[in-house]
Amino acid sequence: MPNGQNNASERERGFDTVLIANRGEIALRILRACKDLGLKTVMVCSQADRQASYGGLADAFLCIGPASAGKSYLNKDAILLAARLTGAGAIHPGYGFLSENAAFSKAVEDVGMVFIGPSAQSIATMGDKIAAKSAMIAAGVPCVPGPDSELPDDRASVEAIASEIGYPVIVKAAGGGGGRGMRVVLDAGALQESVVVTREEARQAFGSPALYMEKFLQHPRHIEIQVLCDVHGNAIWLGHRDCSMQRRHQKVIEEAPAPSIAPEIIGPVAQACVEACRQIGYRGVGTFEFLYEDGGFYFIEMNTRLQVEHPVTEMTSGIDIVQAQIRAAQGIPLAIGQADVVVDGHAFECRINAEDPETFLPSAGTITALTLPSGQGVRVDTHVHAGYTVPPYYDSLIGKLIVHAPTRDEAIVKMQAALSQIEIEGISTNLPLLRALFDDERFATGGTDIHYLETWLKRRSAS
Amino acid sequence: MTAVDFSDPATIAFLAAALEAAGVGGIEIDRLGCKLRIVVGRDAPVAVSLVQTMQETSGAVSEKVTAPIMGVFHRHHPAAAAAPSTLPLKVASGEIVGFLHIGPILLPVNATKAGVLTRRLAEDGSVVGYGDPLFEYEPH
Repeated sequence: MPNGQNNASERERGFDTVLIANRGEIALRILRACKDLGLKTVMVCSQADRQASYGGLADAFLCIGPASAGKSYLNKDAILLAARLTGAGAIHPGYGFLSENAAFSKAVEDVGMVFIGPSAQSIATMGDKIAAKSAMIAAGVPCVPGPDSELPDDRASVEAIASEIGYPVIVKAAGGGGGRGMRVVLDAGALQESVVVTREEARQAFGSPALYMEKFLQHPRHIEIQVLCDVHGNAIWLGHRDCSMQRRHQKVIEEAPAPSIAPEIIGPVAQACVEACRQIGYRGVGTFEFLYEDGGFYFIEMNTRLQVEHPVTEMTSGIDIVQAQIRAAQGIPLAIGQADVVVDGHAFECRINAEDPETFLPSAGTITALTLPSGQGVRVDTHVHAGYTVPPYYDSLIGKLIVHAPTRDEAIVKMQAALSQIEIEGISTNLPLLRALFDDERFATGGTDIHYLETWLKRRSAS
Repeated sequence: MTAVDFSDPATIAFLAAALEAAGVGGIEIDRLGCKLRIVVGRDAPVAVSLVQTMQETSGAVSEKVTAPIMGVFHRHHPAAAAAPSTLPLKVASGEIVGFLHIGPILLPVNATKAGVLTRRLAEDGSVVGYGDPLFEYEPH
């Protein structure tokens, strides 16, 4: 509903028990936020996570199905049933799994519970890349050059659009995301085949053959803006992040604030994001993702959920984003305005994955010994411990190491020290890669683009 | 594959001889139901300890009847007038041993094998999850 004109039932959304429909570190993170707010928690799990010790911290811990995510964490009916059986009044989806599933958001609200996230309509709008781009253009958010409409079928029109944008262009699935369903086209000779192949991929992977086309930026950085909205029409932004250190579109290191971007450049973009939230009646937390090149911002997509990397913004803003998200879902007006948001110091986050640092193959198994760093400005978000068995069925993320210091240089030193202290035995992890990246001179200067890590890895393989 | 009976004296003697021949100081075998420990000393007799580690009743191995789906567990059909049967209780394969209430559905829980229910592990009327143990059970 636009302009924050939410109805009475939308504004009165009290609940005292939250079902956490996720697993691992984020399930534990949400549980802690709920406890701090005095809320009861229900944790659901799959058979593979039945022995997870963090389940014991919840007021109720219920196994909802077999190890397969489709039969447990992605099983809408099972999660709703668990919520009904345990008397939960709200469901927090975390990230991944059902967090950006409009049908799930609707199903939760249809049975009278609160979905801790945006409305089904907001999720659907932002999940459709073409609709999202239209909404962003309407709100004044800068977008990548290219029409905000579906690619036509006829070849001549497609060629005309590509020529007008100028090569290289990128063809993307309207329903895609996470780096899937997209193809870069360097010249007119490769256009038609790329469109045909991507359309078929989109049809098979996302159930819709709809495509769109944009200018392909060659050396962009990935910059994102964190927003927070209540159901009373209030919206603010909490800062920006640089998540350019990626491998195969998966973020490896994130930092806040994004280095070397002047406030007068990013400020108006962030204000446009906030305005977009007001226009689409967005509620809760969300992230606007941009490509940034040569001083220009280009909207990619909006993630209508909590992000993995939210802690770096928590460290620099001092705001507990998960608690704020839950309060917003309860219908509580934002306690702060934009003027109250201050970015203090610099934060980094390393994603610690159970994977081979050379081949990146997942490494399931039992952690035989674990040493975690600690100290002022050092935070570890993890659910694992010595004796914990990493199951082979899910994402390989086993923890996040976050540091905060007054300056970026000091934060790098702090992260180097923290990475040298952390020890995980029994499984392989990407810690050697993270240590090497924090010793990399180019990374230390800041501002590396989204291709930097891939190039770095190729260079390492070659040597 | 046939399971080795580690409580068989002949098996223990064979293992002890093999350890001595190989110059190995000892072995500990932890299997479902028992733990066997053999220590071979240079100038001392072979020390053997065999510990039964599984809960057993009447010499039979106990298993568990688990919930095939989450729901509210009921030992008896809510409409049943009969007094609840007490445990231990002999049941036939496929016999209904309890019910799971899932919204409007009452799903029977069946014994997969003939045997004896020895202990109830879920409270009547409690919420149980997928795979949660409902009864301890000795199959025949």
